[in-house]
Amino acid sequence: MSGALLLAAIGVPLALLAGCASEAVRARAALWLPLAPLPGLAAALLAPDASVALPPALLGIRLSLDPSAAMLLGAASLLWALAGVYAAATLGARPDPGRFAPWWLLTLAGSLGVFMAADLVGFYLLFSAVSLAAYGLIVDDGTARARQVGLLYVVLAVLGEGFLLLAFVMLAQGAPHGSLVIRDVVAALPGSPWRTPALTLLILGFGVKLGMVPFHIWMPLTYRTAPAAAAAALSGAAVKAGVIGLLRFLPLGAALPDWGTALAAAGFFSAFWGVGAGLRQRDPRTVLAYSSISQMGVIAAVMGLALAAGDPGAGIAAALYGAHHTLVKGGLFLAVGLAATRRETRVGLFVLVPAAVIALGMAGLPLTGGALAKLAVKPVMDDGVAGLLGSLSSAGTAMLMLHFLARLVALPADAVRAMPRSARLPASLAWLGASALAVLVPWWLYLGVAGGSAAEALSAKALWSSLWPVLLGAALWLGLGRAGLMPPAREGDVVLRAFRRAALYGVLAGARLERADAALRRFAVALVALLAVALALAALSLGA
Amino acid sequence: MSASGGFLLVLAIMLPAGGVLVAVATGGRIARLAALALLPCGLVLAVAIAALIRTGGVPLEYRVGGWAPPLGVALRADGLSAVMLLITAIVIAGIALFARDYFPADAPDETERRAPFVFWTLLMGLWGALNAVWLGADLFNLYVALELLTFGAVPLVSLDGKPDTLRAALRYLLFALIGSVLYLLGVGLIYGAAGTLDIAQLAAMPHTAPVFAIAAALMTAGLLAKTALFPLHLWLPPAHAGAPAAASALLSALVVKGSFILAVRLWFDALPGAMGPASAQLLGWLGAAAVVFGGAMALRQQRLKLLVAYSTVGQIGYLFFLFPLAFGAAASDPAAWRDLAWTGGIMQVVAHAAAKAAMFMAAGLIGEALGHDRIDGFGGLARALPVTVFAFGLAGMSLMGLPPSGGFVAKAMLLTASVAEAQWWWAVAILAGGLLAAGYLFRVLGPAMAAAAPGAPPVAEIPLRRQAVVLGLAVFALLLGLVPLRPSPLLDIGRATPPLVLAR
Repeated sequence: MSGALLLAAIGVPLALLAGCASEAVRARAALWLPLAPLPGLAAALLAPDASVALPPALLGIRLSLDPSAAMLLGAASLLWALAGVYAAATLGARPDPGRFAPWWLLTLAGSLGVFMAADLVGFYLLFSAVSLAAYGLIVDDGTARARQVGLLYVVLAVLGEGFLLLAFVMLAQGAPHGSLVIRDVVAALPGSPWRTPALTLLILGFGVKLGMVPFHIWMPLTYRTAPAAAAAALSGAAVKAGVIGLLRFLPLGAALPDWGTALAAAGFFSAFWGVGAGLRQRDPRTVLAYSSISQMGVIAAVMGLALAAGDPGAGIAAALYGAHHTLVKGGLFLAVGLAATRRETRVGLFVLVPAAVIALGMAGLPLTGGALAKLAVKPVMDDGVAGLLGSLSSAGTAMLMLHFLARLVALPADAVRAMPRSARLPASLAWLGASALAVLVPWWLYLGVAGGSAAEALSAKALWSSLWPVLLGAALWLGLGRAGLMPPAREGDVVLRAFRRAALYGVLAGARLERADAALRRFAVALVALLAVALALAALSLGA
Repeated sequence: MSASGGFLLVLAIMLPAGGVLVAVATGGRIARLAALALLPCGLVLAVAIAALIRTGGVPLEYRVGGWAPPLGVALRADGLSAVMLLITAIVIAGIALFARDYFPADAPDETERRAPFVFWTLLMGLWGALNAVWLGADLFNLYVALELLTFGAVPLVSLDGKPDTLRAALRYLLFALIGSVLYLLGVGLIYGAAGTLDIAQLAAMPHTAPVFAIAAALMTAGLLAKTALFPLHLWLPPAHAGAPAAASALLSALVVKGSFILAVRLWFDALPGAMGPASAQLLGWLGAAAVVFGGAMALRQQRLKLLVAYSTVGQIGYLFFLFPLAFGAAASDPAAWRDLAWTGGIMQVVAHAAAKAAMFMAAGLIGEALGHDRIDGFGGLARALPVTVFAFGLAGMSLMGLPPSGGFVAKAMLLTASVAEAQWWWAVAILAGGLLAAGYLFRVLGPAMAAAAPGAPPVAEIPLRRQAVVLGLAVFALLLGLVPLRPSPLLDIGRATPPLVLAR
């Protein structure tokens, strides 16, 4: 029964995807989008420790859940459902509602499935599904710019998958009895001769997915290009494929101080980079994207500290942090979408007030879900330097979120898109639902699953330790703003600009490549090459 | 070595050859009918041969006229032959079903009837020649089969008779013939030194004498010219891009694989030990250069068929990782990894055959529907031809090496072997190739998924039946992804694990 729920979590979206081959099902896609993730939610709630193995004909894929994976799965399912409501509401206005749904369903199946995958093949398959199907959501608006962004996204995604594939091959090498179960291969990793390259490749591969600097450039570009509902699902849920990747593949049971410290340093670097670059962005969606880079950096830092200390219990804390981020970030993208469809000149209070609460919650505003997420990772970060860096990154997040709220209010007129009247109510409800869940779900997870106590969460010490970074951030933001010391607005960041320049050189190199090809394809040149190959083969074989 | 099984081998060559004779004798309409009638026979034959080999666990052999080599001519089918017979039958069936409407039986005037007649006749001829390559048991027979393959392939390039394609065909012919000369030189050297050209007899005798290495080097170079391995790819892009889609599919999916498999036979079956690990490394490096160069050139193309043709230049490169990896670089490499590389290399042959055939046919339908194949004019394509664009995307998944697909299985096996044998540089090339493939495929899919440009000419209708054939082959390439990631027992039949040659 519980195994069947896991299968349904992937199977239902895939069955709907298959149904999209029929015109009739496709035309009613709006109906299915909000319902498709519900089996995933049921699995997270009812079968948090289930597992199931598929027959060998289906590659022998194994699915299983544990408490931390169930947290991420549950939060992701909720967000997919709410974003589905929003998407379905706005689909009605499109001439071709059927084009959007297949990409949505495939991304959804991969996004939920990757939390359950328990073997290398299944994980790789589902990870690829969530990464690559997102392409269709990113290029949805069909402009040439969207296609450029989509191409960049795909190439980076495939790069990340290449790192992972090679890492998985190495993991499989070191595993006992040729097992492909992730738990077995990871248990064998600390003693494997492939440990150094495998860990490097794993961190690089998941780093691309998490948008860790310098692999972050796809995030600000794609989240601004995709439609609001898709940006919500991608930034909130799909990106957590990288979080579950770190959770599943880092050998937390073995203390690896060097590796852990390196990962934590890279994570904190991303956390501050995201804040610094995000403060210079004008588009609220780009601000949110840089905030994601920063928040995923925090999660990577938590995982790094846990790896350094050999603390397997940190998985739950990181998952809770991730679950909270899922709902907040997804919700805020819906808020931007709603704010951009306003008819009156001001952003409605029903958008602004909850947005302010959950956005500052991400910085740790007391009593919000974010405060609990910070509290959960506190034991991992309690060491002096790490704890200070964690609090400072919270202060940075507070600055970034205030900047976001300011940009949301000042949303330029050219960002405004029409929304049909009938869509306004369901879209608003999806947003309000997401913001309420972003506060409530972490409470429930913290008290019910992670074993925290309300007394501790409400103690004066806990409240103060999460409040002062927010106050510091607010003071800094106001003070620097007043004093005119805020960095001037500039789109993107130095890595993105360097990448663009490199791409330009790539185009120039391409012209040279074509000339080389033309030269090589001259008959006389090819003839000489043929003789050279024959001679070289003979010489090498004769050992000359 | 049952007699009945051996007889099947003769049929596998004689049936298509008989079809050619019937077509030439009766002309026109019959050629198409004969080819279509042969499809189920060829499929059943390939399945039967594979089943016999699989259940028997030993290769099938047939001696024509009962004469033993070196006097007589022998046919031999091992696991590799069985796999190649099968994929050939499947891909040819797909191409023929596709070409049913591409080269219809009825054309208004005599000259327009020529192209269909030539196509259907050569389709059968190439099928027979390919089967002869898979089944040949001595190096001279294989030479004959190789020549038949070239002479069957060249006219397909210039089927439309335009000056451009004639020039492309001529280049192809000239370069392939130079390759033949090199191959024949090698055959002569071997015959002079060993007194036999039978593969089994050659394998059984010592061949450490330098003459064998020189012969093998000449023959390999000749075969590389016919396989269009970088930097010998001069003829491939214009030939494969200029031919009609059904012919391009045949050329790119199967014909280039004939000379490749022959090189594999030469290195691993006929003269194991004549070539050392250093020359295997050279082949691997040429392959790596092909993967990167072909992929980058595909990324630069503005026309779809040229893009797909350069993609073949790149994908051919992957095949040549088989040599260094199945050879092994160090005595400590266990046979299991070399076996895995062997299966992975052949899997790449099979997966690329299915995926590239589907891709060229999809490109043909796109060209037909739009009246051009300029990628920047593809707006609205996905809405007009959803099935074709979908098939193109699925075939592209296999080329990129995404799971589940045959291309993924092949690349995962080659990656595993290169990691396990500590030849990590092939892994870098394999991953770089996947990246380039993602780039050039999404460069096509992006515009295809966009809305039509305002004022764009209407897209012609393509019957669903024709699109379905393309989709069928693409789905087949995907289903190959269910092949388990371990050395294939079928491919192992009749193959002595090649000895690792360390010193001459």
